[in-house]
Amino acid sequence: MHPIFDHTKSRTQFDRAARVIPSGVYGHLGPAEGCFIPVSAYPQFSERAQGTYFWDIDGNRYIDYMCAYGPNILGYNDPDVDEAARRQREKGDCVTAPSAVMIDFAELLVDTVACADWAFFAKNGNDVTSIAVRAARAYTHRKKLIFFKGYYHGISPWCQKLDNAGVLPEEVQNNLYLDWNDEQQLEQAFAENKGQIAAVISQPYMHGNFVDNTFPKEGFWQKVRKLCDDNGTVLIVDDVRAGFRMDMKGSDHYFGFKADLICFCKALANGYNVSALCGQDFLKNAVSGLSVTGSYWLSAVPFAAGIACIEKMKKLNCPQLLIDKGQKLADGLLEQAKKYGYDLHITGMPSLFYLRLADDPSLMLHQAWIAECQKRGVFFTNHHNHFINAALSDADIAETVEIAGEAFAALREMGK
Amino acid sequence: MDQRTLAYINLFAVLGALPELCRLSPEAQAYIRNQKVSVGFDVKGGPAGTLFFENGVCRMEEGADKCVVRIPVGSCEKFNRIIDGKATPIPTRGLTKIGFLTGPFTKLTDLLTRYLRPSEEDLKDERFFDVSTRLMFHLILSAVAQIANEDEVGRVSASYIVDGKIKLSIAGGPAGYLDAKDHRLTAVHQDTDRPFSVMEFCDMRLARQLFDGKVNAVTCVGTGQVRMGGMISQLDNVNRILDRVSLYLA
Repeated sequence: MHPIFDHTKSRTQFDRAARVIPSGVYGHLGPAEGCFIPVSAYPQFSERAQGTYFWDIDGNRYIDYMCAYGPNILGYNDPDVDEAARRQREKGDCVTAPSAVMIDFAELLVDTVACADWAFFAKNGNDVTSIAVRAARAYTHRKKLIFFKGYYHGISPWCQKLDNAGVLPEEVQNNLYLDWNDEQQLEQAFAENKGQIAAVISQPYMHGNFVDNTFPKEGFWQKVRKLCDDNGTVLIVDDVRAGFRMDMKGSDHYFGFKADLICFCKALANGYNVSALCGQDFLKNAVSGLSVTGSYWLSAVPFAAGIACIEKMKKLNCPQLLIDKGQKLADGLLEQAKKYGYDLHITGMPSLFYLRLADDPSLMLHQAWIAECQKRGVFFTNHHNHFINAALSDADIAETVEIAGEAFAALREMGK
Repeated sequence: MDQRTLAYINLFAVLGALPELCRLSPEAQAYIRNQKVSVGFDVKGGPAGTLFFENGVCRMEEGADKCVVRIPVGSCEKFNRIIDGKATPIPTRGLTKIGFLTGPFTKLTDLLTRYLRPSEEDLKDERFFDVSTRLMFHLILSAVAQIANEDEVGRVSASYIVDGKIKLSIAGGPAGYLDAKDHRLTAVHQDTDRPFSVMEFCDMRLARQLFDGKVNAVTCVGTGQVRMGGMISQLDNVNRILDRVSLYLA
């Protein structure tokens, strides 16, 4: 039996943070957006990380299935990536003239990603989704964008909904929000907005929060591709979350179509801060024509880290490795759920699995189970898809399954 | 700010707080102790609702067909001016009961205003603080429902709310829920044991600070002073609507 963790120091530090930082910890790593239910079950600050683990400031070790929400793909502090970064740091990082390592990185991405004829770098996923949309609008001279409900493409106003605080109606008035996998709705949107749709932007499959993740129906992506081709619309794949956990050549390649623009970030450099927009040749001039830049966009260390990360991912055949590990974990979790009489649903790619206890549609039971896992050292979330990393061992998976069983047993003891 | 939505809020959330006021305040009960009368507001292009007063008890219903005193109002803007004290309501039916309007009803609405726009001095009185905070809770619950159903931006949030009961409560204080069905919300001022999602404030003091905008709800989730559970997407969208409550009730 695993001991129950204490989070006293986390709570103390959060109170301190709340005095000087809006929300204490904001965004997806924070307790509100991160759905820490109950908050007492979750660590709020980490002390260190290594491989597939992180330790919180109370000294508790977690087998981490969020991987910093994606960036940790090879394991925290991967020696090969860190060594490449260290070597580059000794030469220079944020310098007046960029390092030629940027070209090496771009060439590597062009060689790796199926639809890429070029690569453009920034820092966060939001940077490259925003540049992609601007490029599409610049190229087509059109305004409208198609989104699929349940999407997440970043924090900029263009990709929000009307009800988000601080978003103006004018900023979202050209957005069309459609249901995922609904070909008829898509056809209708194109028909009703002839010559007006600049881009369709979508994740490779629907991995929204609070709901089972949904793959594209057979032929759906091909239909989207054809409608874009027939209507002169740019097809943007947001592979920020799923990139390199499905297919080294891009998640569009996995589903058998070719994106016009594809956005990467999270797993690109194993935690070093870089994002990339890749695209087909015909859009290169459109991107060149944009006035976009950032203070740290051409820093060299993340480029060197990215090269080492991609080379290592290729060597490991990382997507398949992570899919296999994810499947092994899923099999174990399902077995435990069955043993204790719970209806656990696991959806999405095994390397990006989403968990839901379907016995209670309100998710309260699911939240209680995830909290019991948390308290024993497995960092799952109750609302979001998870992430597998290459450092996760069979022993880690076995321990996770054991803890999941203990968490189910705890639910039974509570009468749930 | 949309005048029509404000009219719905003013009728069903602000005047809609009178039943709760009469339940919580002996002073309010005394004003209507021996009364049996109903006052209906029929706002052209907007809401219609009736307040029924009988033996110290008050309740509200939608529609203005069954009222004794009927007050038709030409527009939402005019109704909002009446609630703001800048226009006078003129009844067209039940003129013999006009004394109720100018007497007990006016006293009730004045008392309501005192509780909903309290002075710092009044809030030092524990009993006053308790009644005022409870009234604010119920008013906000009703206002959220009206904004979800009537306000253009609120309706966008509501369009993403799945069916089920969204419980809001204050530990040791009031509880109520928003019943979401087909992306419309109905405020119900009683507890439920079958919520689909829950948001609970840890005590009346914190709830008051949140209502007054003195603390931030997201931070309070992190400190554990606001507890969430269940279908969080419902709460996410209700929180977006809550943001707009202050726009209308400022």
